[in-house]
Amino acid sequence: MVSRLDRVNKFLEGVKRNKREITTPEGVNLEVDIANHGERLTAFALDFLFWMLATILLFLGLGLLLIQKVNGAVSVTIILFLTFLLRNLYFIHFELTARGSTPGKRIVGLRVMDRFGGPLTAGAIVARNLTREVEVFLPLSLLLQLPVTSGQGSWMTLAYLGWILLIAAMPLFNRDHMRAGDFIAGTIVISVPRRALLGDLVGTKMGYAFSRKQLEAYGAFELQVLEELLRRPDSEQTRALQQDVRAKICRKIGWTDEVPAHETFAFLTAFYSAERDHLEREQLFGNFRADKTSGVSRET
Amino acid sequence: MNDLDPGSAQIDAPRHMITLRSSEFRKGREEAWRKLETIIEQVERRGQSKLSADDLQSLPLLYRTVASSLSVARAIALDRNLILYLENLALRAYFVAYGPGVGIVECLGWFLRTGFPRAVRSCRWHILVSFLAILAGCIAGFALVKSNEEWFSALVPQALSGGRSMASTAADLRDHEIFAPWPGFTEAFVVFANFLFRHNATIGIMTFGLGIAGGVPTLVLLAYQGLTLGAFAALHDSRGLLVDFFGWVTIHGVTEIGAIVLCGAGGLVIAEKILFPNEYTRIENLALNGKVAAYLAGGAVLMLFVAGLIEGGLRQLVDMTAARFAIGTLTGALWLWYFMSGREEKADGLPS
Repeated sequence: MVSRLDRVNKFLEGVKRNKREITTPEGVNLEVDIANHGERLTAFALDFLFWMLATILLFLGLGLLLIQKVNGAVSVTIILFLTFLLRNLYFIHFELTARGSTPGKRIVGLRVMDRFGGPLTAGAIVARNLTREVEVFLPLSLLLQLPVTSGQGSWMTLAYLGWILLIAAMPLFNRDHMRAGDFIAGTIVISVPRRALLGDLVGTKMGYAFSRKQLEAYGAFELQVLEELLRRPDSEQTRALQQDVRAKICRKIGWTDEVPAHETFAFLTAFYSAERDHLEREQLFGNFRADKTSGVSRET
Repeated sequence: MNDLDPGSAQIDAPRHMITLRSSEFRKGREEAWRKLETIIEQVERRGQSKLSADDLQSLPLLYRTVASSLSVARAIALDRNLILYLENLALRAYFVAYGPGVGIVECLGWFLRTGFPRAVRSCRWHILVSFLAILAGCIAGFALVKSNEEWFSALVPQALSGGRSMASTAADLRDHEIFAPWPGFTEAFVVFANFLFRHNATIGIMTFGLGIAGGVPTLVLLAYQGLTLGAFAALHDSRGLLVDFFGWVTIHGVTEIGAIVLCGAGGLVIAEKILFPNEYTRIENLALNGKVAAYLAGGAVLMLFVAGLIEGGLRQLVDMTAARFAIGTLTGALWLWYFMSGREEKADGLPS
């Protein structure tokens, strides 16, 4: 049912996305787009930046205090502990209060959700972020602290680097792009762009009339491509494209009357309305037609 | 074939007036959709607490309206924009309706008060196995070095032995290691605590992360940690310093080894969930039952911070074996008390 839009979405939006169908506790099936690697990396980089800024601010404040007391030396353990605290507070706080999106995720349009469609629990958020600690931040901080000069140090550097790369590569090897923390917490990260409801294209007054035979030339796929064309912002290019499409349709359905150029949009709208009326009616009777090449599929 | 369709006879003629069922449907509900959209936008921007009482009350109703509208739209409408919009709206409303709904303070408070201790209690068998692995390594290391001291340099890496070797005399060990003079606040806390923290954190990460590999590497690594400890013990035992050595270890070791045991237990939990998935798929099983492993590891990282502070600072500050034992026992008792606490709370202060 849901997958009927798949083909046309792919055709019109060009991006191939992994999908996953979840069932909400009310029993509604929702299809969600798995966030792709680039989006997640961007979101993480943004969060990392925000967290660094916050940490630097904290230490600017703290550093001034410490310099006077501890003779210039800053306690590394305390630094580690505070940064640990701060980043966990940061990630967990925002994923809790902003319903699964940190500022970085929000900018990119990502959200964390339960893999099975259930409520996103606080426990899952804590779990996925604590795992991030072991996945990324500890190896990263260890890597940065290592002395690069000694022979043993370089082996250790390699080991940490290998670990980080291995873990970082994990989302590449599964369909839902899950990192280790997602596996453990049972979460996925999805992309939720905002969609606006545009006006209904169907007009009630019909300047043109089409016969049933003419309307049977197309299916839902063509209808939705036409819909997209009609919703495009007006421009020279759009108009030229609409002219083309009008000519193609006329040829296909055997429309012999001349359609003046300035009437193109009106003609296409009228055809869209009539076609949609026809196809929706057929669909109600259980005869869904996917596209122009397919026959009528009867639903059971 | 079309002739068989009901109603085809009437539609055959071209029609000039059109009323689409899906358009009528849309006209009837659009107001509710728009209202829900406004409320959700408000929540996304300013949070749920800023909603007016009316809006808050109408939220679930509107959500259900949109959910049913979506089902209807999928069945009767071919307007792609409409269906995508409703899917998107329903999803965003779902996030508002099923968000975690708690703040960071409650959440971390819950983790420290209930979540972490409960995770520890629920994994006692994993913890026991993890502990036994260390213990076994410890005994083996002790026996090996006791039989031939050359094992020591084979078992303990240079960086860790900190100048101790089979060549060390009792006086060396006593004065430079076990009762080394207090190097001053900055030195002890900063440099040494940092080094030890780094070492322990690495071990913790490895034991936990290697759980993915089925648990055996976790056990091996744990046993190796025990091996080093046993080797040290044997080295000191041969010079009559066993009790002092244990004092030296106990003061921080209870916390530190505890943390490593917990990390190992976390790794074992992951391994178990992957190896024995019961009726689920392995991944599902991990998702359903794996959170506890993350709690163990996260809690263990906190314990490592504590251990690092004790080890780098307190140990040099307290230079009597008896006092060290006392502090070690005290920390052990405190941890035990902590892990046994948080029981009385209802099963779900927060869903785990």
